[in-house]
Amino acid sequence: MVERLTWSRKAFIAFNYTFLTIVSLMCIIPLVHVLAISFSSSEAAAAGYVKLWPVDWTLSSYEYVAGQAAFLKSMLVTVQRVALGVTINMLITVLIAYPLSKETSVFRPRTFYAWIFVITILFNGGLIPTYMIVKYTGIMDTIWALVLPTAVPVFNVILMLNFFRNLPKELEEAAFIDGAGQWTTLWRVYIPLSMPSLATVTLFAIVGHWNAWFDGLIFMNTPDHYPLQSYLQTIIIRQDFSAMASADLDSLTQISDRTAKAAQIFLGALPILIVYPFLQRFFVSGIVLGSVKE
Amino acid sequence: MLKPKKNVAAASLLCLSLVVSACSNNGDGNQANPSNDKAANSQTTGDEANTSAGNATSEADPQFGKYEPGIELTTVRVIDELKFASGETIDSNQWTRTLEERLGIKVKNNWVVKKDQGQEKMNVTLASGDLPDIFGVNATQLKQLAEAGEIYDLTELYEKYASPLVKEFAEATTNGLAASTFDGKLMAFPAGNATIDNAPILWIRKDWLTKLSLPEPKTMDDVIRIADAFTNQDPDGNGKKDSYGLALNKTLFWTNGGGSFGILEGFMNGYHAYPQSWIKDPGGNLVYGSIQPEMKTALAKLQEMYKNGLIDKEFGVKDEVKEAELASAGRLGMGYGQMWNTLFPLTDSRKNDPAADWQAYPIVSVDSTSASPQTPASSISNYYVVRKDAEHPEALFKMLNLFGELQFDPKTPKEVWQQHSKVDGIEVWQYFPFAVGRPDKNLTIHHNVVAALENKDASALNPEELDAYNNSLAMQEGTGDATNWSYDKVFGKAGSFSVIDKYVTEKLIKSSEYYAAPTATMTDKNATLLKMELETFTKIIMGASVDEFDKFVSDWKKLGGDQITDEVNSWNATK
Amino acid sequence: MSHQAAPAEADARMASLSSGKNQRRSRIPQIPLHLMILPGLLLVLIYNYGPMLGLVIAFQKFVPARGIWDSAWVGLENFRYVMALPDTMQILRNTIVIAFMKMIAQLVVPIIVALLLNEVRKQWFKRSMQTMIYLPHFLSWIILGGILVDILSPSEGILNAGLSWLGIEPIYFLGDNHWFRFVLVASDTWKEFGFNTIVYLAALTGINPTLYEAAIVDGAGRWKQTLHVTLPGMASIIILLSVLSLGNVLNAGFDQVFNLYSPQVYETGDIIDTFVYRIGLEDAQYGVATAVGLFKSIVSLTFISVSYYLAYRLANYRIF
Repeated sequence: MVERLTWSRKAFIAFNYTFLTIVSLMCIIPLVHVLAISFSSSEAAAAGYVKLWPVDWTLSSYEYVAGQAAFLKSMLVTVQRVALGVTINMLITVLIAYPLSKETSVFRPRTFYAWIFVITILFNGGLIPTYMIVKYTGIMDTIWALVLPTAVPVFNVILMLNFFRNLPKELEEAAFIDGAGQWTTLWRVYIPLSMPSLATVTLFAIVGHWNAWFDGLIFMNTPDHYPLQSYLQTIIIRQDFSAMASADLDSLTQISDRTAKAAQIFLGALPILIVYPFLQRFFVSGIVLGSVKE
Repeated sequence: MLKPKKNVAAASLLCLSLVVSACSNNGDGNQANPSNDKAANSQTTGDEANTSAGNATSEADPQFGKYEPGIELTTVRVIDELKFASGETIDSNQWTRTLEERLGIKVKNNWVVKKDQGQEKMNVTLASGDLPDIFGVNATQLKQLAEAGEIYDLTELYEKYASPLVKEFAEATTNGLAASTFDGKLMAFPAGNATIDNAPILWIRKDWLTKLSLPEPKTMDDVIRIADAFTNQDPDGNGKKDSYGLALNKTLFWTNGGGSFGILEGFMNGYHAYPQSWIKDPGGNLVYGSIQPEMKTALAKLQEMYKNGLIDKEFGVKDEVKEAELASAGRLGMGYGQMWNTLFPLTDSRKNDPAADWQAYPIVSVDSTSASPQTPASSISNYYVVRKDAEHPEALFKMLNLFGELQFDPKTPKEVWQQHSKVDGIEVWQYFPFAVGRPDKNLTIHHNVVAALENKDASALNPEELDAYNNSLAMQEGTGDATNWSYDKVFGKAGSFSVIDKYVTEKLIKSSEYYAAPTATMTDKNATLLKMELETFTKIIMGASVDEFDKFVSDWKKLGGDQITDEVNSWNATK
Repeated sequence: MSHQAAPAEADARMASLSSGKNQRRSRIPQIPLHLMILPGLLLVLIYNYGPMLGLVIAFQKFVPARGIWDSAWVGLENFRYVMALPDTMQILRNTIVIAFMKMIAQLVVPIIVALLLNEVRKQWFKRSMQTMIYLPHFLSWIILGGILVDILSPSEGILNAGLSWLGIEPIYFLGDNHWFRFVLVASDTWKEFGFNTIVYLAALTGINPTLYEAAIVDGAGRWKQTLHVTLPGMASIIILLSVLSLGNVLNAGFDQVFNLYSPQVYETGDIIDTFVYRIGLEDAQYGVATAVGLFKSIVSLTFISVSYYLAYRLANYRIF
């Protein structure tokens, strides 16, 4: 597409690129800082010398992390969790969003259903009752405890149903006229047309499972079963000195090691850095609708 | 529930039979003799033939007898970052094997959680009702469990089953047994420390003192003079006015949760003020330290120091770790803290600057009356409790006894001690679910290390003391690194424990008098009162009128403080 | 919204998604639709509605050691307790002000950034921007808190260095009651705006390209296209996200405030959640915490229901 570029348009483009560059730089500062710390010596980090560039360059924190069985083990749990959890999330998201995207005249109870789901965003029973339900349903200390209670990502469902509603109704009608049922229509018409939005909610589902840590700590019975973020949480949170037993003196010397923590944080965020650009392939504007039109 | 007792008669008979060794070994009831461990090992095969014996043997020797057949009991674990040798796990390790061999006890961990989330996990476990047989709780949970009638009355079991050594431990904790007693019944076994380990210490960079030819502090005026010199006389010699005289972090007090360095207890104590502590007034009534007039004087002094730039202008937003960055960067020369501060956070200061020589000093007083370092009312890390319908409630004491013997009995062979304590830098002792310890263990280490250094003879030291000794020796010989240094500054001749030793021998320590779980009004109002206190103190230090203090005192009393004081005093009258 | 100004096509789209009276298809079987919802419904009933029974804790003096069945009932005592605290009004005000400012910022900033990104033609640039602005989301407030103390320091921070270069006196951002709330809002936006931006970008991909072509034929410039095609195309998602964000009127962000506040800014920064946390430190008070949570939920539900109802009555549009 050839655009004629007026002077003001050029000025805007220049401004736009500069502005966005500044914004994005501001956004990567913290991660760059964490990265710089992870490559620095621990005493330089403890003195606050490290800003955006490593001081006393060293790989020792990565060597340390690589030697931590717990880190790798929890990484594995997280991979399992994300694979299973995201699959379930996406299936359920699509299956609920489709009927709810119908108009009330077509599917009467849709509003009732929608509210049932929305209310779960607003109300939750709190830690203890949730713990008891997880216990009663017999999934404590299994991967299912990380996956089933969060199986219905209501926010994503609502997002998805809005995206579905924005699809041209003519396509759906054409499908029905061709004799397709609801399942076929969902599968053959809605899903292929919704790649960008599906990619978006998939990303959210991945990130949700990737970042969740509290459920791991509460529902898992041994640190061996912790997903990565739960494990990271146990090493990043500050030590509580009020209950210091004198016998713990030795463990004190390990607290100040910020570099290893930084390395683990960075490694923890890395997979998302890899996955996200991959998902962006589906973000190509207008391509789907354009091709259908032909 | 009382099954073991029924077997007493049978037990005495059986003592004569197959398992003679186990019974006779422990004849004196005090501790096992050195051959005991080996005996226990070799005895296993014999025991297997004896499975029909019930728990008779365990009853014959209440303190160390083995369960025949073995028993299994459940617990839950709140652990630190643990390391394991290959093949070892939290469920199978040196200690689990020893427990089975020596006592016939198999401990099953219902769950294992890292320290930070321990309370949360414990609370959901309590709420969901599936309590393990034996477990450790905090003071509040203990009170709730005792009041709900969920736990076993240990009074008689303690008398009968706890070994003299373990009893000695419990009695030596500060207020531990008293805090475990409800309506005259002992509901828990307190494991923890003497509170002397938490006495405030004044840490100063001695190299800076020397450089600026300043004397060691004798009075509060000295302290302020030193702070002034550290700020204004360029102690680091970089030509810039970028250093501070006194460390301070935003939590202000150690009891306030979190910070162990850059806190104010020691400073306040110099003015005979005892923040957040319950102290006796001249009439014998308990009063809250933070609202006494001495606090006002101390706060006014801090305000002056802050105004003169002796305290980091931004202390109000910095937690301990953030404030310690200044120390690590060589921009801070003095701070009140705890005895372990050279291990954390000051060790990084040493690593960055090998000349940095943080030295522990006793806190000093503003006048001729010596300063009394304040300590908390108690320092119990775990109250061990037993579920009320547990099958073998006495097993708790047997396990405690065993740990006491293997880790603290001088007659235990060194290699056995070592095997259960620390192997190749891995802290094996932490695998044991119900650790106890000599509450003044750290002070003892200091005494023994100093004696050994003087006599140049380390043969009498146990392996843990030997570690400390080697650190100090390395420093003496000038070969020490930052790690050696940080331990030497705690346990060595001039370490922080020499200061604590002085506190103890001169009987200076002033413990808070209230050691029970929070009273009803504390539960309701303390959050509000604490907020007011911190807000007021911080603002005064940063320059608000010192008279705000008077308003705080009257508000504190009005908003529940008087009621709390009443409750504390009526508790004091009936305890 | 610039509803009236929109070209005919966009108008028709809005109409078609808001009302469907002209498109009856009731002959389509409904059983499959119910079946599709069933698994999700069951899971929600078990794992969301099940625990909600535990909200009864709000009316108890709940003691974990006694459990839900044996804890004492206290009626509305927990609610009364919170309302009677001397700081309640201050805390409530802080919470609402902070939460409201955050809602506005989180609505406006992502839309602007999404629109600007939409103008970018270089795909590699657009994609890397998208990834980068999402990154702060992955760092916890513990980490970001430490970084912010450095950046915002009045004596050594880079921001104040910049200000003094402009001749402005250093500002104690984290310790000054005039500034603290702005710091909270700005840093929260900084951390989270990437999330909503992504949603808007996805919405932009759904806009029919023929609408742009038509607009160009009509002689509309970039600005007019944005105004008449792009914004209306995002309208339903914008409305949805704003309404859902009303669910947070009483959530000012515990983790953030907890890691950034200090006694000197309690006055403007102490919020409901941090206060409840401190109450719990004394003695885990689940009853009070649950009562506060329940109160927050009811307020959120009210806000969302009212806006849902208004949208339906006034524009005949169902938000979800």
